[in-house]
Amino acid sequence: MNKKLVSAILCGAMVLAAATPVMADGGVADGKKIALVGKSAGNAFFEIAANSFKETVEAEGGTVDVVYPEAATADAQIKVLDNLISQKPDAICISANDVNALQAKLEEAMDAGIKVSSFDSAPNKDSRQVFVNQAGTKQVGQALLDAVLDISGGEGQWAVLSATSQAANQNAWIDAMKSIMEGDDKYSKLELVEVAYGDDEPQKSTDQTAALLEKYPDLKVICAPTTVGIAAAAKYLQDNGSACKLTGLGLPSEMQEYTGDDDAHSCPYFYLWDMQGLGKLSAYATAALINGDITGALDETFTAGDLGDYTITEADDGGTEIVLGEPLQFNTENIEEMAKLY
Amino acid sequence: MAGKSGRSINNVPESPIKHMIFSWEGILVVLFILVNIFCKGFSEYYNLENLLRQMPVYLAEVFLMIPMAYILVLGEIDISVGATVCLSATLSCMMCNTGAPFIVVILTALIVGTVCGAVNGFILTQFEELPPMIVTLATQIIFCGIAEIVLGSGGSISASNTDGFRLIGGKVGKVPYILFLVLILAVIFAVILGKSTFGRRVYAIGTNRLTAYYSGIHVKKIRFIIYTVMGTFCGLCALFLVASSYGANTTTGNGFEMDAIAMAVFGGISSTGGKGNLAGGLISAFIIVCLRVGLGQRNVHAQVILLIIGVLLICAVALPNIIENVKRAVKK
Amino acid sequence: MEKKSIMKKITGSREALLAVILILLCLVVTAISPSFLTPKSIIELLKNNAVTLVMSLGMLCVMLVGGIDISIMSTLALSGMSIGMLLKYGHISNTFLAFVIAIAIGAACGAVVGLVISRAAVPPIIATMGFMYVFRAMGYLVSHGGEWAGAAALGSFKNFATSKFLGLNCVIWIIILCYVFFFWFMKWTRTGRKIYAVGSNPSAAEVSGINVKNINLLVYTIMGILAGLGGALQVSIYASAMPDMQYGGEMDVIAACVIGGVSMSGGRGTVVGALLGSLILATIAKALPLVGIGALWQNTIKGVLILVVVVVNVVLQRVADRNALKGREM
Repeated sequence: MNKKLVSAILCGAMVLAAATPVMADGGVADGKKIALVGKSAGNAFFEIAANSFKETVEAEGGTVDVVYPEAATADAQIKVLDNLISQKPDAICISANDVNALQAKLEEAMDAGIKVSSFDSAPNKDSRQVFVNQAGTKQVGQALLDAVLDISGGEGQWAVLSATSQAANQNAWIDAMKSIMEGDDKYSKLELVEVAYGDDEPQKSTDQTAALLEKYPDLKVICAPTTVGIAAAAKYLQDNGSACKLTGLGLPSEMQEYTGDDDAHSCPYFYLWDMQGLGKLSAYATAALINGDITGALDETFTAGDLGDYTITEADDGGTEIVLGEPLQFNTENIEEMAKLY
Repeated sequence: MAGKSGRSINNVPESPIKHMIFSWEGILVVLFILVNIFCKGFSEYYNLENLLRQMPVYLAEVFLMIPMAYILVLGEIDISVGATVCLSATLSCMMCNTGAPFIVVILTALIVGTVCGAVNGFILTQFEELPPMIVTLATQIIFCGIAEIVLGSGGSISASNTDGFRLIGGKVGKVPYILFLVLILAVIFAVILGKSTFGRRVYAIGTNRLTAYYSGIHVKKIRFIIYTVMGTFCGLCALFLVASSYGANTTTGNGFEMDAIAMAVFGGISSTGGKGNLAGGLISAFIIVCLRVGLGQRNVHAQVILLIIGVLLICAVALPNIIENVKRAVKK
Repeated sequence: MEKKSIMKKITGSREALLAVILILLCLVVTAISPSFLTPKSIIELLKNNAVTLVMSLGMLCVMLVGGIDISIMSTLALSGMSIGMLLKYGHISNTFLAFVIAIAIGAACGAVVGLVISRAAVPPIIATMGFMYVFRAMGYLVSHGGEWAGAAALGSFKNFATSKFLGLNCVIWIIILCYVFFFWFMKWTRTGRKIYAVGSNPSAAEVSGINVKNINLLVYTIMGILAGLGGALQVSIYASAMPDMQYGGEMDVIAACVIGGVSMSGGRGTVVGALLGSLILATIAKALPLVGIGALWQNTIKGVLILVVVVVNVVLQRVADRNALKGREM
C-alpha cells in the first residue's frame, strides 16, 4: 500500500517535471552550445538582453540555454555553475551576482575547457576571460552628472538613490560621478548631499525618497542609477508634485508615464544602454572566444556581425573588457517609441 | 487524534522488520531510490562522479539541518542561521586576509558562529516569554547588518590566500571530505538525540516545557547549549561555503534557514516539537540534494524546481494522512 | 480611586504598553525630525505600509488558531502579477474588476492552503513553505518568465492609490475599513470568538461543538483574501507589478503581529495589537533614513530596535504582573 503511495508521488513529480518547459540540449550537433547565466529570474531588464543573445547565437547555428539561479545570490549561482560544469557546454556567459564569490567555480569551469565570458555585471578579473560592458563606467558617470548639472540649472543640492550598498555596478557609477565632480570646476556649485539605498524594493525606495525630500527641502535633483529605484522615486515625486526632479538609469516601459519636460512629470530625461545590442555583442564575443578568434587579451579585435568591429580594452579592475558604446538618452521625443522595445 | 499524526503511519505492524519498512524513514529510503532512478533517466549527466562533484555546496547546508533538528524537536525555530553563516564567512575571510595561519581562520569561523548562537541562546533563556521566531528574526537582521557594516560599500570580500580553503574542499579519491564530516556528525548527533539522557530531555522539553521543568530538567541550560551548538555548525557551514567560493558577501547564506528547516521537516521532524529523529532528516536531505542536482543538470527553470520540491513537500506529508482518512471513512 | 484604576488598566494591558512604546518612538523621531508627525507624513507612512497593515490582520487570525502562513507574499505576487498582466494586455481595464480578480485569486490560494492544512493535517509551516515555492513559481509563469507591468501598462488602475474619497486617500480608507471590520468581526461575531476558542484549546473547542477544521479552513482563506487585496494594493501603490515583489516580506507581517503581542502558540492577540505592531515596524522603517543614520547601519539598528521593543515589552509585562500580585497580597 505504502509503496504504491510513494510511487504515486513519484509519478506525480515525474509528470510535473515532464510538463515543464525543458530546454533543448544540443539541437545542432556541430553547433556551439552556450549557457547564459542570469542574476535571477523575473528581471525584465535581463530578459531583453537574454532574448537578443539567444536570437543571435541561434542565427549563427548554435544553441543557448538561459539558466537562472533560484535567488539573486552568489550561492545560488554557484549551484547553477556546478550543473553547467557537468554538462560541459562550449562557453558560459554570466552576469555575476557577486564580484568574488564565483571565482572558485568559474576557474573550475575554465580548467574543464569551458570558455567564460561575462556581461552586464562582471566577476573579478581572475574568474573571466572577457567582460562585455554595456557602457564605459566613466561614460555613464559623465552622462548622469551632466544630466544632474543640466536639470538643476548648474547649481544646488542633489542626491543619489541607489540599489543596495553592495551593488557593484551602481557603486562604480557613483564613484565615477564623484571623481568627475571633483575634477572639474564646472560642477563646483553642485553639492552631493547623500547617497541613499532603496535595496531595489519599491517600499524602501519610497521611504528613502521621502526622507531625502524631508531632510533637504532645497534638493533639486535625485539621480537613481537603478531601474526599480528610479520608478519608485519617479512615482513619489510625481504624485507629490515635488519641485525636485529626477534622472538616472531606467527602463523606458517603466518610465514612460513619468517622462516629460513640464512640471506634471518628474523625470525630464534618463539613460540606459542598448539592451538588444548588449545581448548581441555578448553573443558575438562569446562565439569569438570559443572559436579562438580572441583570448581576452588586451587590444585584440573581432567583428560582431552588423555591429561592426570591436577592440578589447583595459577594464577598471585590471582585467579586460569590451565596451558596447555610449549610454542612450530617453526623453519626450523617443520614449514612446522605445517603450515598445523595452 | 486527527491533526496530530504528523508523519507517522498508523497501524504499524509489530514485527521489527515490517516496522522498519513501514516507518517514515523506510518510505524515505524508497523515495530516495526512486528519485535516483528518476534522475538517472532524466539527465544524461547524472552519475556518481558528477553527483559527488556537485554535492559539497549542498552538503554545507546539511550541516545546518543537524542542530536545526534539535531546535525543531524542542518545538522552536531558528531563522537567524543564514545570517550567522554570512557573518562568520565574512569574518573568517577577513582573518584569512590578515595572513593568519589557517587554523586561526577555522577557529574564527567557529567562534563567531558560536558567539552568535550563544547570543540567541542568552536572549531566549533570559526572556523565556519571547517566541524564538521573533528573536531570531531580529538577530538575523542584526548579524547580517553587522556583516554589511564590516564589509562596507562593495559588500564583498575575497580570500586572498585560498590554500587552506582548497585543503578543506579536498577529496579522498572522488569523495569530498565534507561528505565524511556530514555523515560522522549526523551519526554522532543522531545517537545523542536518540539514545542519550540529553536527547531524551530534549524530547521531554519539546513535548511539554513546563512539565520538563518541574521534573527537574535544566530547561534553560539545554536550550542555551542547543542554540550555541547551532551557531557552531553555522561556522562550520560558513567554512565549507567559503571553500567553494573563496569569498563572502552580504547575501552569503541567504535563505539557508528555510532549506535546513525543509530538510528536517520533510524528514519527519515535527515542527511543533517532541517528535522525529535525525535519520529521517539526513535521508530527506539527500533526496532533496539528488533531486535538485538531477533537475538542475537539465537546466529546468529554478522556479520550476522549487515548485516541484514544494509540491513534493506537501504531497509527502499530506498523502499518508489523506489515505488514512479515506481508510477510516471506508471502514465506518 | 478612579485614577488608580486607569493607571492599572494601562500598566496591565499589553496593548497599552505597546501604545506607550509607539508614542515614545514617535516623540523621539519627531524631536530629531519635526516633520515626522505632520498629517502628510502620517498618511504617507500608512500608504507605504498598507500591505503589511492589511495582511497583519490575516496573520492575526492564522496565528490565533496556532498556525503560521509563510506563503502570503507568494500569494501576493501571484495575484498582483496576474492583474498586472491582465491590465497590460488589455483584457480588463476596470479598477474594481481588477481588485475583485486579485482578491478571488488570493481567496483561491488561501482556500487551497487551508484545505491542505485542515483536511490533510499537514503542519502549517510545511504546507505554507511548500505553497510559498508553488505560488511564487506560478507568479513567474504568469509573468512569462520575467515581464514587468509598468506604470504605463496599468492604465487607470494605478490612479486608485492616488485618488481621494471624502478628502482621504482611498488606500487609507481600505486600511480603515479592514481594521473596523476585523475589530467588529473578532470581538462581536460568533465566528470571531470561535477562532479564539480554537486557538486557546482545540480539543475543548471540538468537544463544545465547534468545527475546528472549518475554522482552520476559514482563517487561511481570510489570509488568502487579504493577501490578494495586498497584491492589488501593492501594484496600485507602486504602479508596478514584478514577479519577485515583496520577496521575504512575510517576516515583516509575522514580526508585526508578534510585536503586537499575538502569541505564536495561539489563542492570544488582538486587532489593536496587530495595528500597533505594524505601526511600530512602519515607524522604524520610515524613521531610520529620516534621523540621519548611515545607510550601512540602518539594517543593524532596525534589528536592534525590534529586539529592544519586544524585550522592553516583556520586562514591562513582568513588572505589571508583579504589581498585580502585590495588590493581591495586600
